[in-house]
Amino acid sequence: MRTIALLGQPNSGKSTLFNALTGSHQHVGNWPGKTVERAEGFFTYGEELYRVVDLPGSYGLTANSAEEMVTRTYIEHGYADLVCIIVDAAQLERSLYMLADFVGVKSPVMLILNMMDVAEHHGKKIDVVKLEKLLNIPVLGFVASDTDGYLRFFETMERALNTHAIISVDKARSFAETSENSVVSRLENYLSGLKLGVREKFWIASKLLENDSLVCFEIRNAVDSERWQEIKKVLDEKGVEGGLLMGEAKYRFISETLREVTTETQQQVKLSRFDKIATHRIWGKFVAFFILVITLAVSMMIAVPIIASCFGLQGVAEPLVVKMCESFGWWPSVASFVNSVFVGGLAVTVAMMGFVFAILVTFGLMEDTGYLARSSYVFDSWLSRLGLHGKAFMPLFSGLACTGGAVCGTRVLDTRGQRLFAMVLLWSIPCGAKVSVVLFLASVFFGSMAPLFGIVYVAMIFASFWLSSRLFGNKLMPVSERVGMIMELPPYHKPHWKILIKTVVRNVWAIFKKAIVVIWAVSLLFWLVSYSKDGVVEHSVLYTIGNAIEPFTQIFGMRWQLFISYLGGIFSKEASLGVMSVVFASTNDAFSLISRNEAGANLGEMMRAAVSIPEALAFIFASMFNVPCVLTMGTTYRETHSFKWTAAIAGYYFAISLGLAFVVYHIALWVF
Amino acid sequence: MCLSEMKENQKGLIQKINGDSRFVSRIVSMGLPPNSAFLVLQNDGRSPILVYSHDTMIAINRKECNQIDVEFA
Repeated sequence: MRTIALLGQPNSGKSTLFNALTGSHQHVGNWPGKTVERAEGFFTYGEELYRVVDLPGSYGLTANSAEEMVTRTYIEHGYADLVCIIVDAAQLERSLYMLADFVGVKSPVMLILNMMDVAEHHGKKIDVVKLEKLLNIPVLGFVASDTDGYLRFFETMERALNTHAIISVDKARSFAETSENSVVSRLENYLSGLKLGVREKFWIASKLLENDSLVCFEIRNAVDSERWQEIKKVLDEKGVEGGLLMGEAKYRFISETLREVTTETQQQVKLSRFDKIATHRIWGKFVAFFILVITLAVSMMIAVPIIASCFGLQGVAEPLVVKMCESFGWWPSVASFVNSVFVGGLAVTVAMMGFVFAILVTFGLMEDTGYLARSSYVFDSWLSRLGLHGKAFMPLFSGLACTGGAVCGTRVLDTRGQRLFAMVLLWSIPCGAKVSVVLFLASVFFGSMAPLFGIVYVAMIFASFWLSSRLFGNKLMPVSERVGMIMELPPYHKPHWKILIKTVVRNVWAIFKKAIVVIWAVSLLFWLVSYSKDGVVEHSVLYTIGNAIEPFTQIFGMRWQLFISYLGGIFSKEASLGVMSVVFASTNDAFSLISRNEAGANLGEMMRAAVSIPEALAFIFASMFNVPCVLTMGTTYRETHSFKWTAAIAGYYFAISLGLAFVVYHIALWVF
Repeated sequence: MCLSEMKENQKGLIQKINGDSRFVSRIVSMGLPPNSAFLVLQNDGRSPILVYSHDTMIAINRKECNQIDVEFA
């Protein structure tokens, strides 16, 4: 098996290529010991199996973030049999910087000029054959979204592997090393005799000049202190200039190479009319809000029929299961087991996948078209206060529709730290169901005062953002790694519907598989503890446990009924109402504790009679920051690939919701 | 003169990038090395500045723009 590594800048079409090559044969996990997502996949060509590694997107090979570190380390160790550098033909000069930064690595390499159609449309003509001659490596003019062109990709790939095509350093070196400036060769001399693997001395020297921390560290340890002092002297002579010098040399190498290869008709550049509005300080935000609201409305339109048909099917399936069990003469509890664990769990999961699907499609569209970057631009000033990139706005906002789906939407963020932090924040953003439960409870106990809770709730959410950024911010997004916004706003593109839908369907399926396991496990647990022979809650394990820990839960103002309802809220917000209906009405319906998704008819009255005002307040506040739902846990687990992080986030919200209940309860006791 | 002082539709050349090597490498790899020509697309005095260079539109925070020395082209 041979390994192909995909190397390219963000927006170069790298992931389109990766998805098209590997289809459903993908595996996404974490890089060993790193909190960076690792995507690899497989394809067969001819008789041979190939592994494709999708290296995290980066603008160059200098490592400023954990993601860039992964890419850089992978390349400099020469792990791949072939490095496939993919560049945007429409932004050829800039995106070839990656190739220029790669020069000096002796791994076989091929170059893909992606989006040739867009380049042509912009009036740019590229002589691919000539470029191939100049660089002396296989070069392919390509359109990654066009599935017909892949045969040529495979041919080029084979050619690169067979000829062991390696890019020569001579030309690039000639731009860095001029007669008046011999700093590169001076550094190269100091490097002789060192084991450099696939890297040429030129590559190391240029990274030293850029003051690259990894290479500086490596060389300082590899040479004796005398030689390091000599190297240091050369570097200090240049200071920051060294990096600028090398950067300029790399671009000169690119433009010299391209001078003979490209012809373009000069176009007048200015901001398009849409961009003028989309990047406007005020109008841009309106545009983003408008697009988001439309997006969420469309998501609903996609999701609601799925949800409705799913619960409809559940309604049909459940009586069938009951009948079947009766005809077999089985215990009624078998039917309740099947219904509340398997049928109910399946219905909830499939229903929520509607949201996940809709959110992933709409975000994919925004990313594909290039609009996402515009919305990031206008919201960056808000989010940078939390240490987040402006891109986080979209997933955070869509949390108002469905927390679990929005967790999947955090994929638009570039670093894993940012993604984790956005997930932490998302858990405190209430979805429609959570809002309605909180407002329902508020109106039961406080009548016309209920809207006040809405205002308090919003304030609490911002307070929790602040707390989260205090607790997690620096760990997940080290202040030393943060930079003010320096972001590319990619040109607008037509979306690639076919690839987009295919990718989303594959992702939804993968998410579904993980989520259903979590949901079934949690349903099973709930069913087991709430089981009793006669269906009376007081005879269940849950009651026994609830009763036993009541002295403890009462510290938070929750008697056993309320605490169980709180736990039910972990399953889903609607379920907490169902649980309350059961425990307060003492009906013989404990079997279906969590599969009742609504409040009983007279729940309000019964609760007013049984629950005091301080207790009610404690419960309402606890519900605000309770774990959103089991589906959110499932998608968080799937997206973080980490049980530890999922548990940590859940534990964190447990702590704040109970802590808040504690404070509110005791203040209320004192006031009322 | 620094980048943030330039007005909309003015053309310029990057002269020097002041800052640590992280900052320099970021600006350079995004397509703004020294001596590259650029066009200011938007500078409203408050939002990050939009510049166009090497076929690329780049948004740069105002604070960071103060670290980039430029001249008119």
